[in-house]
Amino acid sequence: MSRGWGPAGGEVASGKGMRKQGLQRIRRLGRYAGPYRARLILAIVAMFGVLGCTLALPLLMKTAIDSAILPGDTRLLVLIAAVVIAIGIVGIALARVETYFTGWVGERILNDLRTDLFQHMQGLSMGYFERQRTGVLISRLTNDVEALQQLVTDGLTSTVRNILTLVVAGGILLVLDFRLALATIIVFPLMAVLTFVFRGQSAKAYGQMRSRLALVTAALQEDLNGIRVIQAYRRESGSRAQIAVLNESYREANRTTVTSSGWYFPTVEFLAAVATCIVFGYGGYLYVDGTIEIGVLVAFIGYLASFFDPVQQLSQVYNTFLAGSAALDKIFDVMDDEPTLVDAPDAQALPHLIGAVRFEDVRFGYNPERPVIDGLSIDVAAGQTVALVGHTGAGKSTIIKLLARFYDPQAGRITIDGHDLRSVTLASLRAQIAMVPQEGFLFNGTIHENIAFGRPTATRAEVEAAAREVGADRFIEELPGGYDEEVRERGGRLSIGQRQLIAFARALLVDPRLLILDEATSSVDIQTEAHIEEALQRLLADRTAFVVAHRLSTIRNADLIVVLEHGAVLESGSHEELLARGGRYRALYGDWAEAISR
Amino acid sequence: MAHDPLELTSGTEARKAFWPTLRRGVGLVRDHRLVLGISIVLAIAGQIFTIAIPWATGRVVDEAMKPKDTDQLRYLIILILGLAIGRFFIMYLRRIISGTMAVNIERDLRNLVYHHLLSLSFPFFDRNQTGQIMNRATVDLTTLRLYLGYGILFFTQHTISIVAVMAVLFWMNALVALLVLVIVPPLIILAVVYARRSQPIVTEAQQALGQVTTQAEESVVGIRVIKAFGQEQQEVERFRERADSVFAYNVEATRLRAKYIPVMDFLPTISLALLIAIGGYAVINDRMSLGDFVTYSLLVGLIVMPLRMIGGWIGDTQRFVVSSQRVFQILDMRPSIEDLPDAQPLPAGGGEIRFEGVTFGYRPERPIIRDIELTIEPGSTVAIIGRTGSGKTTLTQLVPRFYDASAGRVLVEGVDVRQLRLDELRGAIGTVAEDTYLFSASIHDNIAFGRPDATDAEVRLAAERAQAAGFIEELPDGYGTMVGERGLTLSGGQRQRIAIARALLLDPRILILDDATASVDASTESRIRDALVEVMQGRTTLIIAHRLSTIALADRIVVLDEGRIVADGSHDELIGTNDVYREIHDHGLVDRRFVNADGDHVIIPVGHEEGVT
Repeated sequence: MSRGWGPAGGEVASGKGMRKQGLQRIRRLGRYAGPYRARLILAIVAMFGVLGCTLALPLLMKTAIDSAILPGDTRLLVLIAAVVIAIGIVGIALARVETYFTGWVGERILNDLRTDLFQHMQGLSMGYFERQRTGVLISRLTNDVEALQQLVTDGLTSTVRNILTLVVAGGILLVLDFRLALATIIVFPLMAVLTFVFRGQSAKAYGQMRSRLALVTAALQEDLNGIRVIQAYRRESGSRAQIAVLNESYREANRTTVTSSGWYFPTVEFLAAVATCIVFGYGGYLYVDGTIEIGVLVAFIGYLASFFDPVQQLSQVYNTFLAGSAALDKIFDVMDDEPTLVDAPDAQALPHLIGAVRFEDVRFGYNPERPVIDGLSIDVAAGQTVALVGHTGAGKSTIIKLLARFYDPQAGRITIDGHDLRSVTLASLRAQIAMVPQEGFLFNGTIHENIAFGRPTATRAEVEAAAREVGADRFIEELPGGYDEEVRERGGRLSIGQRQLIAFARALLVDPRLLILDEATSSVDIQTEAHIEEALQRLLADRTAFVVAHRLSTIRNADLIVVLEHGAVLESGSHEELLARGGRYRALYGDWAEAISR
Repeated sequence: MAHDPLELTSGTEARKAFWPTLRRGVGLVRDHRLVLGISIVLAIAGQIFTIAIPWATGRVVDEAMKPKDTDQLRYLIILILGLAIGRFFIMYLRRIISGTMAVNIERDLRNLVYHHLLSLSFPFFDRNQTGQIMNRATVDLTTLRLYLGYGILFFTQHTISIVAVMAVLFWMNALVALLVLVIVPPLIILAVVYARRSQPIVTEAQQALGQVTTQAEESVVGIRVIKAFGQEQQEVERFRERADSVFAYNVEATRLRAKYIPVMDFLPTISLALLIAIGGYAVINDRMSLGDFVTYSLLVGLIVMPLRMIGGWIGDTQRFVVSSQRVFQILDMRPSIEDLPDAQPLPAGGGEIRFEGVTFGYRPERPIIRDIELTIEPGSTVAIIGRTGSGKTTLTQLVPRFYDASAGRVLVEGVDVRQLRLDELRGAIGTVAEDTYLFSASIHDNIAFGRPDATDAEVRLAAERAQAAGFIEELPDGYGTMVGERGLTLSGGQRQRIAIARALLLDPRILILDDATASVDASTESRIRDALVEVMQGRTTLIIAHRLSTIALADRIVVLDEGRIVADGSHDELIGTNDVYREIHDHGLVDRRFVNADGDHVIIPVGHEEGVT
């Protein structure tokens, strides 16, 4: 079986355009640093100090050799040693300031960005969530923000530090002895080219490695999820073989990284040794000529390291920058997505609802060219229960999503008490309606918090009353923690029926004027079924309700049954009226009646 | 059946068995020990060359420059170049050999753990959540592979560097060496303390991050509820709290880093100062050559990095042992259901099933079914009904031997299932479970799951019989349409029909349908039912059903209540005599479900989404 795992991406794109855009992204990220400017400046100032301390040491070594040891000046020698220690102490203090504030600002930016992104996402319209895969959205908030960590906490300071080190160390070398400096610096371009070739190679290899590893992990995850099917169908060996193949291809990618680092690092070490040879070979002749001092040569060796390291680190920063700007791209893409459903500029608060609902010639499609609802008109008096009936794809769920204003119709209008949904504020609309989705969705938190979800300020007594009203009190009180019992894993330990009752209580607690209910299809046992039916009656009483109905009892008790086909009303009326009419409802009912009579 | 303690325990218990676990964990490299040995030898050789270069540099100062001897200078420079070339080749080989070893170790580890996981039996997966298992198979496995693939070698290499450098320093001048090396103990201690103190905070930060992930997931998955109740702001507040806690831990980690790392960075300046003062004094008094002084200054730099790494090593080892323990817990788990050494082939027959005094519970102290005596004739259709929790599914799962009975025995074709070859037994049974699982693959591959060699025509036929062909052919790519986690989202009823086709393709002797038509609407159900009548011909069928219409397909009805058979007979026999059956019949439990039960999902074809992934 060939699995449908496409490449998971992760390859680092490059090219001029990307880089330019990348810079814009970084600048936009930079705005997040704004409020913490003072700390950032402090960190950078400290960084200059640390750099000075580090670069002073080879110079001190040179002075020690040339001015103290060779002339035999022990007092100067002790003085230099004392200065070295003092530099060490100052260096520690400054490096602490640098490390702390760089880290602090970075973490703060990351935190602000994450919270902003979450807030923005929460504000996006329902359509956005239905278009995007859950995993992708979660990844934006987690993996992609994490991918910025390196860039944000280390990238900027590292770039500044390394460029500065290069310039200053190069300057010192030239001042110490420009002939020797020029001779040594020959190695430098070679080193830079090698490094960038290597980084390019390894970035590609690591990208491939990561995406192949993701495939291995995803295959395992899927096999574990489907383990019962695999074992029932005796496909263990097939799954094993498949994982082995993916694993081997991952190993291959992994092996590529070994090859590239295999030549790179030894070459760098070799080049460093070549530089040493130049310093002592050429420098040795200069010394024999008497035009250079030994200390200068020793200092040169010291600075060579400060010269090579920044090149390596800068190339790494470059990769961090590429990876980070890819993540930034994805994050800002989400941030740039504007909510399509916003309050109209002149939107008014919806007054206290009576609950008369009208769909007037409504057309809507998730893809506007393919309407799922077309020419739909429904007129519902306040307080009525409407049962929506029809086959898959007839548009039942879409109707209730339009009513909750998760989407706006493309033609026609929906009114409540005569107010077009688009002319009222979302907050005032949603405050007066409650929606119960198919499977009672529970959040991590206590039972109390779950029931009080729509009204977090509700008292325990109110929560208990709502639970009692729908008959959820019986099982809640039997839980070890009662209303304070923690719901874990989205209520996995509660039965489907129990979760539904909690969702009912949640809806009841907000005492909505308009209730939207998507009846669950899962089967539950006889007692639970009875409880749910009972609870439903309570819930539906005294308010306007739209129900995607599956239960015969719900449908029968509805004031209005709307039979849908291809997004339009095929027929509507009460149970008796529709049976008498002898249309589609009659046929559906016939199927059902036949089913039970067999 | 002996009951395995399957619950995975936390890593804290690992510390009790530190040394044995460490030994066993390191033992995982057994197959690679020759390569590891070669890598270590090469690493030692590389170190010798690395130390030789500063030494030769010192010679340049003493033997060539001081005496102004250009021949000696040329000779020494060539020597250094030679050393550098030698080191290049040694290090290149070392990296290729040990790097290849590391990736091979990783592959072997993954295959070992992943293959083992797939062989474990149902009870293991019942007790452990996929997330927990995945965590061990990824996070812990990474700790293991890094330690085994790189850690052991690096530790050896660093230890050798330190010992070798110190030996050379002492050999050159013991007093100066002693003074210069005063930084060694504090550096190691600092590195150890830092690793110890930062580790728990890093762990806490990761846990806090886990909470952020959980909340992100929840808010995305539950967005409909959040929006319906207008609770976006509340969610943002909750998220902010959690994000802030990650920030707090990370700042604490930063604080520790700022406290320790700069000290470790600048500690070597003490050595430098002492070298300048003491070494310089020695040079002035002719007790040390200037060349040695230079060599010293270069060598001290060589041991700083290894010393810091060694400090972190203790923490690495502790983490390695904890992760090893967690991985070994999985590896030590034996499949509780396996072929006996002398397992026999499944005899020919029509699919007779017999339960003889069968008792079983997922936990032995809480039996789900008790003393089941039941013989199912070959070719018959038996409906098993009862309330939720009465043991219907459990009963059927004993037939393909997903579990073994705790008492009594289950026989297929007259043979105890424990004595049959699992492959043949399960190959003769087609199951359609209540929760249908589809893999991320084409619809074709999903239907052909049990028989990957099936032809297109066979797959199509199976789909037709399961009433799935109609909707499949309407899909953009027909049978090639990708479904599952990364493909098209199908409705519950569509998934179930594919699962039925998957079972039918096996042409099984025994067919088990566990509430297989629960989420299809009455009209589709009636079509599937017609198909079932046909496919049930010539096989033994067990149906768990709620709908009377489905129950009516059976020749015989078995009513379960609290794990016992309370009634057994035809509809006509039971309607007059059995209360449980009459209750189900009269209240028409499932048939309170009326129409359009087929969930109305929004179908988003792959590639039609907006935005980037």
